[in-house]
Formats: sequence, structure tokens, C-alpha cells
Amino acid sequence: MIQFAKDYILLYFEGTLVALGVATLSMVLSVAIGLVGALGRMSGNRPVRSVTSGYVAFFRGIPPLVLLYVVYFGLPSWAQELGIRPLADFLAPLNNRIMSAVVAFGVNSGAYSTEIIRSAIASIHPEQMEAAQSLGMSYWLAMRRIIVPQSARVAFPPLGNEFIAVLKGTSLASVIGVTELMRDAQLVAAATFRNLAAYTLAAVFYVVLVIILQSVVGWLERRLSLVHK
Amino acid sequence: MRAEFSLGLSREERTSKPAAPLSAAAEQTVRNGRPSGPLLQLIDVSKYFGKTPALSDVNLTVNRGETVAIVGPSGSGKTTLLRCINFLVAYDSGRILVDGRLVGYREQHGDMIRDTGQHVNDIRKRIGMVFQQFNLFPHRTVLGNLIEGPLYVLGIPRSEAVTRARGALELVGLIDRFDAYPDQLSGGQQQRVAIARALCMEPELMLFDEVTSALDPELVGEVLSVMRQLARKGMTMVVVTHEMEFARHVADRVVFMEASKIVTDQPAGDFFKRPSTPRIEAFLSRLSLPRNSD
Repeated sequence: MIQFAKDYILLYFEGTLVALGVATLSMVLSVAIGLVGALGRMSGNRPVRSVTSGYVAFFRGIPPLVLLYVVYFGLPSWAQELGIRPLADFLAPLNNRIMSAVVAFGVNSGAYSTEIIRSAIASIHPEQMEAAQSLGMSYWLAMRRIIVPQSARVAFPPLGNEFIAVLKGTSLASVIGVTELMRDAQLVAAATFRNLAAYTLAAVFYVVLVIILQSVVGWLERRLSLVHK
Repeated sequence: MRAEFSLGLSREERTSKPAAPLSAAAEQTVRNGRPSGPLLQLIDVSKYFGKTPALSDVNLTVNRGETVAIVGPSGSGKTTLLRCINFLVAYDSGRILVDGRLVGYREQHGDMIRDTGQHVNDIRKRIGMVFQQFNLFPHRTVLGNLIEGPLYVLGIPRSEAVTRARGALELVGLIDRFDAYPDQLSGGQQQRVAIARALCMEPELMLFDEVTSALDPELVGEVLSVMRQLARKGMTMVVVTHEMEFARHVADRVVFMEASKIVTDQPAGDFFKRPSTPRIEAFLSRLSLPRNSD
């Protein structure tokens, strides 16, 4: 096993970096969607509220693997068949496996981030908004300067957990051929027939990675909450 | 959720209601006010929460440099009145004028149309408000709290905002705590910072909403003394308070509210020496104030 690990460790490291990269990009997309979604969910405008609530309900319900298939195998070829050039061009980047994975995981996780950020914003006392407005701030200025910065601190720990969930979820991208950690393990298993060793090593990599990430999240969280002590 | 935050103010609403003709009392208010140029006028202002009246035909004039204390039992509409003045609560009918400008509405062909957020914000810039629960921004230092409005609302340069902030902190006696965060301060200190934050906007009118009610008794004095200083400097102030000593010694006039109405509006001395109704007498005696001493 040790010799086996030594032989393939570099390949597994490469896979880990790909997984981290996909997870990070997905999470950036997820938080961006989450911020817009959260503000939409809290909007005074009913259609905006309905659209964002629908997004959350819909994408929380789709298993990420199904979404990945739809995005990678479904969308680009559908656009081709339709023959609408601009649409086909717009969706062409999804022929790239990594791009597809990022979009699928980002949009999926965005539904969760929306809820996380919404509840973080809701946790800020309404009087903070009133205090900001009493200074003459508009709703959006108060959101940007007063409410969102305070909710960032509240949202950070659950978003950290979400990142870890997304990272583990990137193993699904192996099915569309993204050579991340899980895909590398499959390749090694196929080449050596040592299934147990190949997948166990991948598991060890995931576990170590998650433990490291958890302590980074914990450290950042302490920094954030201690920032004014 | 949005309703809690936006208070329905951030965008223009097309709902309009007829502008009511002025009542006799209101005409009187307007006439009285005109020569001396009152800073604040409330004319027949009413507000309902559902079917419950919070304010019923309230008329009040506050002249420049005056300190008016609003007292009365809880639930009488004192806080609602104060929050209508800077439109944190939208009043249903009547008019509120700050320096002659209608707050929150535009009159068009005899209808009252909800004003744009921008106009409401323009008026709020000129009105400072201090809350019962301080409501400092916890993620900013004292200095950060003080320069936030001047920088982002008034758009003045940072150096000038800092100079203003230092001046305000000196006034409230907290210049050495400029880099502290709100949770490192006592309640009394936080409330003084909140007053300083409002002062940094250089308001023409200050509203105080039971600002000492959340404080430990031994911290009340420091906040009241800052308010006394402000009154002496000629700041126009509307103070909702339960501090009768403050009302007696600092306020020019005392307004007594009960059941969503203004019952009396008298010079402070008269209010305490000669309570005009048995109801006020009972209110004061429950607070066990020695009425005849001064």
C-alpha cells in the first residue's frame, strides 16, 4: 500500500488541485448567485420574489449528478439542434468539461447559498437598517455598507460548510471525464486492478483535504469574530 | 422580510390619498408658525396600525432652537410621532413639514403622492435620530460609525469627515475611544456615540426616542448631560422621554400624549407646577415627582 501510494501520489495531488479548482470556481459562482438570490428573496417586488424562490426550490431538488448530465450532455447539443447561432455560441463553453462542472455545481450550490445568505441578512436586527436610513442612506446603500457586511460574518461558517460539500461533490465530475481526484483514482484502478488501494487512497486525500479546509474555515471564522477584540 | 428592512420607503409608491383640508387647529398652527419660521410642523397628522390609531390629528409646532419633551404613558403614540417626523413610519394623513418641506409626500392636484426615496433621504439627512437601543454599527469602530454618513451620504472628503467626527466626540466626551468597537463600550458611552453619529451629519433637528430607557440608572446622567449641552447650544430637539427632571429643567415645552392624541402642550414650568388635567396629575404622581419644587 505504501509503495502504491508512493507511485501514484503525484497523480493524486494533481487530481486534488483540479478538484479544489473546480470547487473554488463553483463556490464563487454559488456565492454570487446566493447574494443576488437572497436580495431577490427579500425583495418587495413579488415577481422577483417568486422567481428567486422558484430557483431555490427547483435547484435544491435536482441531484447534482442529474444537473451535470443536463448541462454537459444536454444543453450544448440542444442549442446545436435548434440552430440558433447566438444561443449555440453562448452555450458552447459548456462543451468544456470543467466549465460544465463549474456551472452545474455552482448553480446547484447557489440555491443553498441563497438560503444561507438570506437567513444571515434576516438575522441582522431591522433597527440597523433604520439607523442607516435615519442617516439618509438609501435602501441599497444601507444594504451595501451596513447590512451585507454584518451578515457576511454570520454567513461565513455555513458557507464554509457549503464549500466542503461542493468540494466532495466535485467527485461527480469524474463521470463526465474531468480528471479530478476521483477520475484519477478510477484510472489508477483500471490500470492496476487494485481497486481497494486506488479508491482508499482517494478517500484519504478527500478526508485530509476536508480536515485542512475545516481548520482553515475555523481559523478564518475566529479571525472574523475577533476582528474587533 | 423586505418589509422589515425597507419600511416600504425605498421607492416611489403610486398610492395616493386625498389631501385633507386643514382643520381650524391646523390653520392656527400654520399661522402661529409663519412669522418666526418654525422648523417642524405637524398638521392634523394621523397614523393607524391596522384599525388601531397610533396618532389622531396631531398638531405640533417646534421652532428653531426649541427643546420639546414628549411625555405620556407607554402606547400613547410618542415613538410613532417621532418616527413619522423622519418618515421611518409613513403617516396616513395630515402633513409634516420640516423647514417648510413636506415630509414623505408630494401634493399633486390635491392628492398626496408618496415621495421618491431620494427626497425622503434628503430630508432625513437634515434630521438626526437617536434610538433607545443605540443601533450603532457593530462592525465599525466609533470613528467608522461617525464618518459613515458624512462620507457616503453627504459625500464630503474623508479628512473633513474625520475632523467633524473628532469635534462630535469631543462634545460627547469620548475622544479617547475613537478606535473602540461599540461592544467595547458601556451603554452610556454607546448612546453618546450614537448622539455624536447623528451630530456628524450637522442636522438642524434632533429626535431622541427614549434614549435613556435601555441604560443602567448610573449611566443615564452622562447621556442627559450631553443632551443638556446640545439644548444649550441651541439645537432644535424633540425628546421622547420618561425623565421628568430632564423635561422640567431642559425642555422649553412639554407635550403630554395619551391614547394617540396630544392632550396638552405647555411651557415646561407650567406643566409641572399646574397640571391642567387630573389625568396628568395622576401621571406625574405615579412618577412620584415633587411637583411644587423647582
